[in-house]
Amino acid sequence: MSKIRCYFPNVLLTFLLVFLLLGCGLTAFVRTQVLNAETFSVVTAQEGLADKAYSSLETYFKTRANSTGIPAEVFTEVMDRDELEKAINASVGQAFDYLSGKTEEFGFTMDFTALEQSVQTFFSSYAEENNVVKDKVYEEKVASVIAEAEAEILFVADTFKLTMMYEKGWLGTARHYLTYLGMAQTACLIGLAVVLVLLLLCNLRQISHMLYWCGTAGLTASLLLLAPCIYVTATDYFAGFAIKDPQIFAAVVGFLELLVSRAQTMAIIVLAVSIGCLAVFGIVRAVCGRKGNDAEEAPEEASQEVTEQDSDTEKKSETEKESETKKA
Amino acid sequence: MATKTKTRKGVHPFVYILTAVLLVILCTAVSAVALIKPYEKVQTYLNIIFMDDMKIKPASGLDGLVIKENEISTQKPAEEEAEQFSDTGTVIRPAFGEQYAVLECEAINLSVPVYWGSTPELLERGACQASSSKVLGEVGNAVIDAHVNTFFADLHKIEPGDEIVLYTQYGIFTYKAFEQVKFENTDKTHILPMDTDRLTLYTCEAQVLGTSTTRVGVLCSLVSKQFYTDSASQAELTTEEAAG
Repeated sequence: MSKIRCYFPNVLLTFLLVFLLLGCGLTAFVRTQVLNAETFSVVTAQEGLADKAYSSLETYFKTRANSTGIPAEVFTEVMDRDELEKAINASVGQAFDYLSGKTEEFGFTMDFTALEQSVQTFFSSYAEENNVVKDKVYEEKVASVIAEAEAEILFVADTFKLTMMYEKGWLGTARHYLTYLGMAQTACLIGLAVVLVLLLLCNLRQISHMLYWCGTAGLTASLLLLAPCIYVTATDYFAGFAIKDPQIFAAVVGFLELLVSRAQTMAIIVLAVSIGCLAVFGIVRAVCGRKGNDAEEAPEEASQEVTEQDSDTEKKSETEKESETKKA
Repeated sequence: MATKTKTRKGVHPFVYILTAVLLVILCTAVSAVALIKPYEKVQTYLNIIFMDDMKIKPASGLDGLVIKENEISTQKPAEEEAEQFSDTGTVIRPAFGEQYAVLECEAINLSVPVYWGSTPELLERGACQASSSKVLGEVGNAVIDAHVNTFFADLHKIEPGDEIVLYTQYGIFTYKAFEQVKFENTDKTHILPMDTDRLTLYTCEAQVLGTSTTRVGVLCSLVSKQFYTDSASQAELTTEEAAG
């Protein structure tokens, strides 16, 4: 009866432990992996985002040359892949500054001094060769070409589409909810500690059972996390991403795949630890079973013996009473 | 007084395994139920963002675009060959990126291949017909554009009355220019579908440097439709595919 009384609280506490473990794991994952500029830098380097952005800009300016008459080299020769990579990383850094509340606004900018100089030089030499008067119209034309080129470079270099997310208000919303992330993590950790203490209290007599319940909770939590990770990896789910611009596709899909692979690693580690706990529990139980009078079970058995001795004494006294009554 | 000691019987391992399995099932079921509503909310967005039929990883700007070039006869039929043609016939709908016509205008000495669809890669190769417009031979507006610095540099020189001929694998279509037009790129009046036979040619307005938001074009009306009576054999004779 006492076993049944312990069994259901243990199951209930393990059930809670599963979701608290998931909560702790996911909040920690978001804080250390998703909201980490280093993760974005890894994607930028791993996927060659700067190279892809550069190629995309080259194609754009070559195509535009057909309708503008401005050779693509005017723009591409002053663009640098390293500068593009720095700009991509800088945009991520600025976004995180905004998300963490360090800055009140997000604005992605780059240094376009060389580009402006190049366009000015090209227009100037063109004007001299063709006797074009450098009037207001000329200045407006130069300004519009520079503005258009800068806008395109900023658009392409913003591979993670942070500007779009800021303009749509998504970054603002994320910034608002991120203030609760720390609280959620603390709540999960406190809940986890409470459940573990309760589980410990439930299994004070058989402390090795803690290994079983914790192992089962870890196993369940890791399977719940691992299953969707395996699904998206096996079906190549992210390859269906609708935006096929090479640099955007590589940035978004690379980022998601990196997160999934890291979540998968985390789940596998938890799974291994859980299986380890269950294996240790199995060994302990096997050893206890072989010894028969295991030290762990001694107190319970001692109490059982005491109970049995008491009942024997009671029976004995009752028999004595009966015999005395008969004698009388 | 002898003490009777009992050895406690251990729990069967099956109970431990069953408990673990039941917990996994229970937690999975609870998670699934809890996630149904949020999933329903984001399902539409997920289906749009990650489409099953778009599982192609881009490596270059040409991914997904197959450019197909065909050899199309631009020989005008002689009088005695008139029986080879019919006023009615079947059009062959081209694939996106396929060259399906040759546009000729003697007045400005223009001969340019026409591709079905409009992308920067196709515009590098010739004129492009918007895939939202009508295929030549069908009733409606056929809209063709090209770069002003290349193929349509002299488009503005086409005068009303000039003849434009389009050769395809299934027939020859002759149009006559009747109006020169100039419109803003936001104005869709001339490129929208219509019920009458129309050919609309347009390009950007030529500028010394920089881009223009103004478009210049020519509107043409249909003069004649000449479908090959044996279009299948014509296609077989004249088509040679070059890998795009």
